[in-house]
Amino acid sequence: MAEEAAAFDLVENDRAPVLALRGDWTVDTIADVEAPLRALHVQSGAAVDVSQLGRMDMAGAYLIERTLRAAGSSEPAELAIRGDHANARRLFEAARKATAAPAPLPEHPHGWRGLLERIGRAVAAVGEEIIDTLSFFGQTLATLAGLIANPRRIRGVSIVHVMEEAGLHALPIVSLLAFFIGLVIAYLGARILGDFGATVFTVELVAFSMMREFGVVITAVLLAGRTNSAFTAEIGAMKMRQEIDAMRTMGIQPMDALVAPRVIAMLIMTPLLTFAATMAGLFGGLLVCWSDLGISPVMFFSRIADEIPAQHFYIGMIKAPVFALVLTVIACKQGLSVGGDVNSLGRHVTASVVQAIFMVILLDAIFAIWFLEMNL
Amino acid sequence: MSEDIAIRVRGLESRFGAQVVHQNLDLDVKRGEVLGVVGPSGAGKSVLLREVVGLDKPTAGTVEFPFLEQAGRAPVLGVMFQDGALFSNLTVLENVEAPLREHTRISPELRTEIASLKLNMAGFPPDAFYKKPADISGGMRKRAAVARALALDPELLFLDEPTAGLDPIAAERFDRMVQELARSLGLTVFLVTHDLDTLYAVCDRVAVLYRGKIAAIGPIDEVSKNAEGWIKDYFSGPRGRAAHAGATGG
Repeated sequence: MAEEAAAFDLVENDRAPVLALRGDWTVDTIADVEAPLRALHVQSGAAVDVSQLGRMDMAGAYLIERTLRAAGSSEPAELAIRGDHANARRLFEAARKATAAPAPLPEHPHGWRGLLERIGRAVAAVGEEIIDTLSFFGQTLATLAGLIANPRRIRGVSIVHVMEEAGLHALPIVSLLAFFIGLVIAYLGARILGDFGATVFTVELVAFSMMREFGVVITAVLLAGRTNSAFTAEIGAMKMRQEIDAMRTMGIQPMDALVAPRVIAMLIMTPLLTFAATMAGLFGGLLVCWSDLGISPVMFFSRIADEIPAQHFYIGMIKAPVFALVLTVIACKQGLSVGGDVNSLGRHVTASVVQAIFMVILLDAIFAIWFLEMNL
Repeated sequence: MSEDIAIRVRGLESRFGAQVVHQNLDLDVKRGEVLGVVGPSGAGKSVLLREVVGLDKPTAGTVEFPFLEQAGRAPVLGVMFQDGALFSNLTVLENVEAPLREHTRISPELRTEIASLKLNMAGFPPDAFYKKPADISGGMRKRAAVARALALDPELLFLDEPTAGLDPIAAERFDRMVQELARSLGLTVFLVTHDLDTLYAVCDRVAVLYRGKIAAIGPIDEVSKNAEGWIKDYFSGPRGRAAHAGATGG
């Protein structure tokens, strides 16, 4: 038995008009009769004939009820029903009882005013975010200082766990990426420096750029995508499931238990990853120099030892813990700001990654200017 | 005979690795009745519900909807999950409208009106229609979830622990609402619960799920009278007696 289309006739004989229903009136079928019913003008006191009615559900009952009510008096009187039907009377009654005044829409300013209001709110939100993040940064530093003063509060297991998850497991991808970047730089150098007959300087180009900039920046950007999203999602989900509230009631500080281990673990692992990335990049450059330029590995390394001052290596490495601190603080701060709904989790994970990458690039630029002005 | 059976479960077996949850479980739910499913924690009540509605596939056995199949209609099921499972990025009203939007061609105005109607039936206050699920209380979330389950006018309504986490007054109101809905809409209700008051107040029949099978099924008075073992402990514990006394007005 397939669904029968809903249909109706308005019979206006001697006295009150009668709305005779045919077919099935369910949520699936009433779409077609909605407009005709709306256009219909029924006098007050109309009755409904349900003797030909097939199946009906609440939606159908409501639609009929509404049509007749719109025509009739404002006082919702009981519907006059003619004919027999299994559940029509019950459904009309339920629909009549549950009908309420249409809910008012919440007010939102539209047009120019709305636009200006949204811009204003966004600007204010950026300001608040900066202040919040800075104060969280300060809080983190205070917590770390507290841990140094009282090392027994340091959670070794958590730290090692994070070191493995976020550090060790990131090693292959970080190294591989740095290797390719080293390869690309060496090819660029071989090509451009070759025009001047100075291909041997490719070694300096690779070593200089990998040590000073790319090793650490690639590591940081990768961690911003990989680790920041994980940290924010973990902490955010804990916040949503009230696990953080549970911790607080037990007297465990989230700063101690969640933030500090992550910060410490990343402070340890990021320099190590940076070192690995730098070495992988140099290896990539070495392969190109060897195969394309005929510079042997021995010559490659002796040239680095002779021509590149060690300070370039240290300049790269010194940035690693700074990036680690900033990234982890952003990740934890965003995680702890997650609210009760799924949307806010997505928003904060996005914010965490975007802010982290932004800060890496910004800080790197500041470092570059600083070190160059210092003639380092 | 068979056309009066809304849900027929035969030879159901559920297995997670070595853990057997149901074994050779048979269950009939009659059309138009409110069936309460009880059982100790971990007996597989929620698993049974998930398998009946088709979210999980049982290891073996069948689930059929004889009445609807005979009438040639696809079973439309309304499910209310324990925590409501409202879509958190939509308002309450949009949540109830969502199934209508997906499955019907009804105009937006009528859709909103039908959704409001369902929310009213579930006793949801109109001033909170535009709130997000995160901003309303647990009891309100349950009402909104029932309204959403009813959006497509299902003939089968599944409720998973509908009164868990509600205060006794709210729970009683919720019970009354379920009963009223079931009666006025002619619903068949499959209700998983721990709440003895709900069992006494709402359910036409009770099925006790114990050790992977339906250990007893029937009107609650019969089941509690002929109870043995765990079922006896369940119904004749202090809470069971209090609920029974409350139901009989004693």
